[in-house]
Amino acid sequence: MGNGRIEKGDTDVRFRRLQAALVASVALLPLRLFAQHSGSQFQQDPVEQYGARALTVIIVTGILVVLYSLFRYRGRITGPISWAFLALGIAVLPVLTSGFGTVLVFERAERVEFCESCHLTMKAFVTDMKNPQSQSLAAVHYKNRYIPDDQCYVCHTSYGLFGTFQAKREGMHDVFVYYTHTFKLPIKLRHPYPNTDCLKCHAESAKWLGVHGDFKEDIFAGKTSCLDCHADANPPHTLAPTVERSSR
Amino acid sequence: MNTIKKLDADPVISRRLLVAAQILALLAYGLGLLFLLRSTGGVTFVFSTLGPAIVGLCIVILVGVTIHRFLRSHSLFSYEIFQPGEIIFQEGEEGDCAYFIQSGEVEVIHVDNGREKIVASLTEGQYFGEIALITSHPRNATVRAVNATKLAVLGKKNFLTMLNLIPSARNDIMLTVTERAMKQTASR
Repeated sequence: MGNGRIEKGDTDVRFRRLQAALVASVALLPLRLFAQHSGSQFQQDPVEQYGARALTVIIVTGILVVLYSLFRYRGRITGPISWAFLALGIAVLPVLTSGFGTVLVFERAERVEFCESCHLTMKAFVTDMKNPQSQSLAAVHYKNRYIPDDQCYVCHTSYGLFGTFQAKREGMHDVFVYYTHTFKLPIKLRHPYPNTDCLKCHAESAKWLGVHGDFKEDIFAGKTSCLDCHADANPPHTLAPTVERSSR
Repeated sequence: MNTIKKLDADPVISRRLLVAAQILALLAYGLGLLFLLRSTGGVTFVFSTLGPAIVGLCIVILVGVTIHRFLRSHSLFSYEIFQPGEIIFQEGEEGDCAYFIQSGEVEVIHVDNGREKIVASLTEGQYFGEIALITSHPRNATVRAVNATKLAVLGKKNFLTMLNLIPSARNDIMLTVTERAMKQTASR
């Protein structure tokens, strides 16, 4: 009997240590996650900064609540308190997680790193864009910081709410195609590159008017494509032909 | 009334469903953490599509179990029929109703060191399952139908209301509870 009690005591101690380790590792997660997002000190994105922290706190709280409820009640509803823990852990906090998560999904889906994560298709383009020696349009815009951040997204998303929505919708399709390996190389733009995606930044600027002022109406009307001239000297991505060749 | 209701398994199923919902919620939280750590296309896609689906399922389970428990604990003499050998409830489960035997016979079983011990047999006119409602403790024994048994099931809320409204019933039930507690102590 005595030995049996000692063994049971040891098991209890181990179980409590395991519980404590589990709780501590979950509780310390925010430190690790907060340390991750150390962007440029001059470019603070409030949605990312506060949204990610709020989401982290919600998730960690949710995990702790669910673990406590599981260990304490094991699925039983013994009264209003156990029900409240259940509702908090499997309904309220998950809904908040989804809500904050959706906001962050829209925010993070604009990052260059997000586009680059589909490395089989996109990495060559991003590598070219980040290459200081490259003279492609993307690289020139990137290295001169003409676009401060989210460079892929800014150049490939038509202006306005509908443009954003269209980019997200098509992006979801692209992710599906990528992970199901049903894409074809070389990847191509769905639509001809629209002038509006250049004009949303360049139109009517003094430098631009100096060169394009005489035929700006044609450009505005789409009769002349920006890439008719600029793609010859400075193609959008110099690696595009390489990708095409390598895929053959 | 020939439909055999298997509501006896409800507390167990409810508990398992709620544990499953908690595990699903942990999965949703895990997806959230993964998204926070690595916002790649695949992770973002899974988090933004699978995550809400899991959360929806968890809410459906919680609402379903809560409504079912409410209806069951407020039931006023619904009838259930059990076949021979069917378990009516298990020792250790939560109790949310009392049973009044209309016909047939049940046996009350204690499991001690893996061995079943029949501590009582109850027949028509007798009742069981009341102790868990009065003490709010889990069921202290397993009850199994010996032959085809028809039971009238009274939800906890209505059972307790009955005790408050009918002093004679309360006295009778409290006497039975005391006798059974003494018998149980003696048998152990």
